Amino acid sequence: MVNASSEVLEHTAEVKLRVRAASLGELLGEAGRALAAVELGGLPPAPDGPWRPVEVRSSDRDALLVDWLNELIYLAETERWVPVEFEMETVAPTALRARARGVPVTVTPARVKAATFHGLRIVETPAGLEADVILDV
Amino acid sequence: MPTAEAIVPEQLVHEIPVTTRADMRVPARVFADGELWRQIEGDHSLEQLINVATLRGVSHCVYGMPDLHEGYGFPVGGVAAMRAADGVISPGGVGYDINCGVRLLAADLDAAAAAPELERFVHELSRSIPSGTGRGGRLALTDVELERVLAHGCRALVEQGLATSEDLDATEAHGCLTRADPAAVSQRARGRGRDQLGTLGSGNHFVEVQVVDRIEDAAAARALGLRAGRITVLIHTGSRGLGHQVCTDYVRLMDQAMPRYGITLPDRQLACAPFRSPEGQQYFGAMCAAANFAWANRQVITHRVREVFGRLFGAGGGLRLVYDVAHNMAKLEEHAGGLLVVHRKGATRAFGPKHPETPERYREVGQPVFIPGSMGTASYVMVGTDAALARSFGSACHGAGRVMSRHAAKRVQPGHEVRRELEARGIIVRCPSSGELAEEAPFAYKDVERVVDVVHGAGLARKVARLLPLGVVKG
Repeated sequence: MVNASSEVLEHTAEVKLRVRAASLGELLGEAGRALAAVELGGLPPAPDGPWRPVEVRSSDRDALLVDWLNELIYLAETERWVPVEFEMETVAPTALRARARGVPVTVTPARVKAATFHGLRIVETPAGLEADVILDV
Repeated sequence: MPTAEAIVPEQLVHEIPVTTRADMRVPARVFADGELWRQIEGDHSLEQLINVATLRGVSHCVYGMPDLHEGYGFPVGGVAAMRAADGVISPGGVGYDINCGVRLLAADLDAAAAAPELERFVHELSRSIPSGTGRGGRLALTDVELERVLAHGCRALVEQGLATSEDLDATEAHGCLTRADPAAVSQRARGRGRDQLGTLGSGNHFVEVQVVDRIEDAAAARALGLRAGRITVLIHTGSRGLGHQVCTDYVRLMDQAMPRYGITLPDRQLACAPFRSPEGQQYFGAMCAAANFAWANRQVITHRVREVFGRLFGAGGGLRLVYDVAHNMAKLEEHAGGLLVVHRKGATRAFGPKHPETPERYREVGQPVFIPGSMGTASYVMVGTDAALARSFGSACHGAGRVMSRHAAKRVQPGHEVRRELEARGIIVRCPSSGELAEEAPFAYKDVERVVDVVHGAGLARKVARLLPLGVVKG
């Protein structure tokens, strides 16, 4: 088992995230928190307000990570609400149903255009899963 | 079509033969001198360029501009042309910021005369033009208005007094791609873009107030209306959240469609579909609509700049649009009798005097090309050459090009120090985020003088004028 964690790796033009967690659900949640940190420019504050449902369906596990992050980017930009805390209700390699709490913002500080497939990898490790994903900023 | 006759000085071109990797369909060619080549070899951009050379229907050769650097899927500074008849179109070959581009405004006002009001000018620009990503502007569009912008681009703004016919004449494609299909733009994309017309966005987007520091080609400068000592304003932004979502939507669609067309890729971000397929045509229509949104965005910002300029300096100074050119786009173009889908990702169209798409007013000199430097360094005005058609599908680079990651740049120097150094050099800075200022520090970019020398030396475009920054509003 591993405590979920994330770090920013070197990339010439974009933001490359490395995320580690014990399970796919935790990995997706940690990736969501790492995205929020990039969007908000630092450690996300405590969430405010009620839980909201977020659902994603994808063609495979890699696409699920990309689609999940793109859904969170979309919510942040259109609703001025940055999700920072997640509870996974059902997680499968091609579908995710989750609840999220977030931070309402008057001026969306989001700066991420999209999550990409480039350099994307999710690998099994002795402690769980490790993923790399590049964000276009 | 590029031919062996298109001679470029040997020291400025680096060939990657088609035999380098078994899946390459065409060779790759990179324009760079020794130092730029060394920098290019330092990241994954060559591997990305080689990946592009494997795409179905890719024609003749793929090109890397001197500002080439690692992106996602396509490298930034990459040019690839696919045969329209049997080749693919790739949203990743255009990028998320569809029709990101630059436009240059020129004033009949000397920088010396403007100096007392310069700080106010930059400050008022920062107040009038919303900057950060997702930050709405003052022009929230109704459904009908958004539809018109997607279909007609800058032309939709003429009736509202936000654009003039002279502006349209000085914009690539007159600020409107007629192949736009607004119906192919999703509700999600519309939702992201609805209140973003007239906004700058974040990252490397900017409005920069400059002075014409040096004229390199007097005749071409005259044709472009540029005079030493005069004020110019350079605007760099794109299609905002609307374009980002169009790309997201179609990367997903094509990723799922590829098995039907038997397409396999070395990088999933190169997701593509045959240009003539339903998915290819749908994306092309949506991309053209997003491109129209981007031109309208730069036009609305131009209107705001003119308002501020008029208030401070009077209408007499004027702010004439020199040109507006895209650097993230796929265009249908004829090259030596063949119809090609030319993908330019972080690369600028650079047509010469004889090309029919070069604006009438620039037929003596060639289409204007703008190469912004990094924040705090010079930018260049160039003009396209007829030879560039044979050398790079009529393309040149789009900027200096990053050489250092954003993460590393922040470690080298914090934003407040970058701001202090720029201000010590007399450059006025307005940027809402200290962190993003650090990411865009001058040392994070290649030497623009070197990049421009390669473009000029390789005959992709000719130097016309050098511009120096006086003030910058960062996204």
